[in-house]
Amino acid sequence: MGTFDGILSGLSVAFSVQGMLFVLIGVFAGTFIGMMPGLGPISAIAIMIPLTYNMEPTVALVLMAGVYYGAVFGGSTSSILLNAPGISGTVATAFDGYPMAQNGQAGKALAIAAISSFAGGTVSVVLLMLFAPLLASVAIVFGPPEYFALMLLGLTAIASLSDGSTIKALISAVLGLMFVTIGMDSQTGTTRFTFNNSNLLEGIDFLVIALGLFAIAEICNLIVNRKKTIKNQGNIGSLKLSKQDFKEMSGPMSRQSFLGFILGVLPGAGATIASFIGYITEKKIAKRPEEFGKGAVKGIAAPETANNAATSGAFVPLLSLGIPGSGTTAVLLGALLVLNVPPGPLLIEEQPDLFWGVIISMYIGNVFLLILNLPLIPYIAKVLLIPRPMLISLVIMFSMIGVYSISFSTFDLYLLLAFGVIGYLMKLYNFPAAPLILAFILGGMMEESFRQAMTIANDDLTVFFTRPIALSMLIVALLSFLVPIIRQKKTTSV
Amino acid sequence: MFRSANKIVSMILIVIAIFYLYLAFQIPAFATGVFTASTMPKAAGFLLILLSIFLFFIKEGESEEDQEKRREAGQHVFYLGGVAVMILLYITLLEPVGFILASTVFIFLCSLFMGYRRHIVNAVTSVVFPLSLYLVFTQLLNISLPPGILPL
Amino acid sequence: MKHSKYWIGAGVLSLSVLSACGSGGGDSSSGGDGGGGEEENYEPDSSLEIVAPAGAGGGWDTVARSAAEGLEEEGIVDQGIGVVNREGGGGANGWSYIHNQEGNPEYSFVASPPLLLVPLNGQSEYSYEDFTPLSNMIADYGAFAVTEDSEWDDLNDLFDDMKENPDDITVVGESSPGSMDHMQFAKIAAGAGVDPSSIKYVSAQDGSALTNLLNGQADVYSTGITETVEQVRAGDVKVLGITAEERLEGDTVSEFPTATEQGIEETFVNWRGFLGPPNMSDAEIAYYEETFKELSESDYWQETRQSYAWEENYMDSEEFEEFLAEEEESMQDLLDEVGIDRGGE
Repeated sequence: MGTFDGILSGLSVAFSVQGMLFVLIGVFAGTFIGMMPGLGPISAIAIMIPLTYNMEPTVALVLMAGVYYGAVFGGSTSSILLNAPGISGTVATAFDGYPMAQNGQAGKALAIAAISSFAGGTVSVVLLMLFAPLLASVAIVFGPPEYFALMLLGLTAIASLSDGSTIKALISAVLGLMFVTIGMDSQTGTTRFTFNNSNLLEGIDFLVIALGLFAIAEICNLIVNRKKTIKNQGNIGSLKLSKQDFKEMSGPMSRQSFLGFILGVLPGAGATIASFIGYITEKKIAKRPEEFGKGAVKGIAAPETANNAATSGAFVPLLSLGIPGSGTTAVLLGALLVLNVPPGPLLIEEQPDLFWGVIISMYIGNVFLLILNLPLIPYIAKVLLIPRPMLISLVIMFSMIGVYSISFSTFDLYLLLAFGVIGYLMKLYNFPAAPLILAFILGGMMEESFRQAMTIANDDLTVFFTRPIALSMLIVALLSFLVPIIRQKKTTSV
Repeated sequence: MFRSANKIVSMILIVIAIFYLYLAFQIPAFATGVFTASTMPKAAGFLLILLSIFLFFIKEGESEEDQEKRREAGQHVFYLGGVAVMILLYITLLEPVGFILASTVFIFLCSLFMGYRRHIVNAVTSVVFPLSLYLVFTQLLNISLPPGILPL
Repeated sequence: MKHSKYWIGAGVLSLSVLSACGSGGGDSSSGGDGGGGEEENYEPDSSLEIVAPAGAGGGWDTVARSAAEGLEEEGIVDQGIGVVNREGGGGANGWSYIHNQEGNPEYSFVASPPLLLVPLNGQSEYSYEDFTPLSNMIADYGAFAVTEDSEWDDLNDLFDDMKENPDDITVVGESSPGSMDHMQFAKIAAGAGVDPSSIKYVSAQDGSALTNLLNGQADVYSTGITETVEQVRAGDVKVLGITAEERLEGDTVSEFPTATEQGIEETFVNWRGFLGPPNMSDAEIAYYEETFKELSESDYWQETRQSYAWEENYMDSEEFEEFLAEEEESMQDLLDEVGIDRGGE
């Protein structure tokens, strides 16, 4: 079957009644599961696997893909409304989404998130369709030295993530590095800082930290302010975006669709890292970076575009190489095996109808997501009308149950509470939480890839300078660290 | 307050860093290379000490607003602590008592404690939410939550 | 990032990629209304609970779920079966959960070589001896792959080079040092006369193990057979050897040479079986032996084995226990040779 026939049969599968129905079910279930704090795309797909046992493979994959990007789409809702990230890919969305919602513009924030998600999802599917086989070679270009350089590049942005004291931002980042070292070391199997507690062997789950530092710490804030009448409280605002808003969004949406997609293609990077890097780059190049963190339009558009684009990107190594680049695609790969579709380099050639069916269904799915989500926004945003005392109890319960459904252990719940306390103290003493989160997510991978690179190169540090991609990223990292300092010096001396 | 909050925080962080470093130096090295499992922890520990020393000496005037923020938190420490204790109890009772019962009691008492006075609404909410969540998780999503003592 | 830390689970099964994702919600469905057994033999009076000591979608989870599905679909168990995910500690959390179920014969869990390796690495206080071996179900084997254009054509080429320049050859796998992917390679290499402690092993998760083989960062990929099949078919990699005793049956896999036929008298079995809480009675053990035997012989299970390329390897409780004892000893010796002594049992 040639490409053209493949597209045709893909179209016929995707537009069949069954195909459409399962896309719809997939994206709807995905949105819902994504909204629940804790439950993420991995759980969402795992939940769907038993349903797909007797399905036709293409339809099953259409369903599971729908659940996957649906969850990433829906994950932003609780980030924006409650500061309780639904999935790890939408933690960065809370940075500006929650402040905007608190300013009485919840409707607008949710609309921006939905439209950027749609843009990221759709543009990246175009890229996936056009370049998947070509990009397969890109997916494997990155070795440990490149990953190290990429993570370092991300970390250099830490200082720029806070408006206040640089020292405090750096301290917060170092704390993040310290938290990520808890658990078993991947390169030696040695336990570090676990106090012989088996619950800590696999490290602290990212969502426990994110929900603690954001959701629970914000609850403390609400407790203190529970009796204050705050203007705009419960005010949802209009969904309508002005021309100006669209203009603001267009930059991040177009750039992050590409960047997010590429990061999604790289095994190991994925939606979470893409959302952070998207947020950072947009802040770096913004004309008014000081607006970030206070409810900037771009601050929502960037991570939301990037994480959805990365989700489609993750399908490149999966479908064109049979390499699962993330936990979620690993579960998808397992599901494919169950369906007797062994994913590998020959999949596109041998099963073009499956490949094209899924891709075309992703267009449909993204349209469904947009038309499902936009009209629902006013209703979903009504969450904010819940009286404060009740909201406090409910958010605590939701966060607890979300974390519990990750590990089924109450130990993580105690951790969640502890991180809530840490997060609130950090708030009181003006330590920004974002650098901690960023260092936690990038630092672990940075250490791992550094040590892998060193083992492979027998401790020869020159590997970082002899490989062009790694070297150029390191140079950019150095510049992004030095330039702001030099610029600052110049302005003060002039 | 002490001279400056920064100084106190800085001291606490140094203590944490020293404890962390103490543990980091006990990590056994299985690899023979230069960079081992303890390399990054050691680097992070020393970096924290260094940064904390900087923090100790920076003259960063705190705005009125920041101090007000902490003063206010101090006034509500009873409520903050109270909710924390409730959460602790909730976690401890979650598995033995079960999700539905523990959540119902938690939501009702916590909302009450926070000053919610419409008891009937409160009672209804605290039953309906956990119950429907439980059904959604166990029936729809096939995720088991602790049933506890309720005969389910 | 936490997700990349699920490496212990990662090497667990042949589908190590599958389990590389450890996180995620688990789920369970305990159906069944219970029902009493009137015979003298043991018959569970409530629904059975199979524990997967890892997250949903992982390797242990796959075995647990397909077994539960098979037992129900084939009508072997009428009481209903629930699968529960007890994630954490590379299995340690699930094991301690089962250990606490002494006297509750409804509970059992899925196990594979990490049940031996994790305690030996000092990462769990329970070893197989703290449980009752019920039945082993299947076997799966490891494969060592290199890129298609590699200079090595068989294991002996590779091991000869390794003896001379161990620093030049990087072996990559998903699991951590001292766990599955590392140990299966070390075992075969040791059999060929390579000093196991000289092996340069790098652990890489989230699909980057294969990536690093393909981009030349690593030279050898130690993994399960399933993971290599599609890559071999596409002509990207070649398999130098597998750890099975005899060649496997199947389209591509039958072309994979065993280490044994290359003159290396070593094998490594990635077994998958079920164990229960400590001190189960003979009647209870007999019930499970019968149940699992029936499952193992069912059409359902045959199909399942085929779709995952698992080999039939049923052992009853006694055989299983002996097998575990032998395996543990050989793993301990090997860990000593590799130079990992973490003070485990």
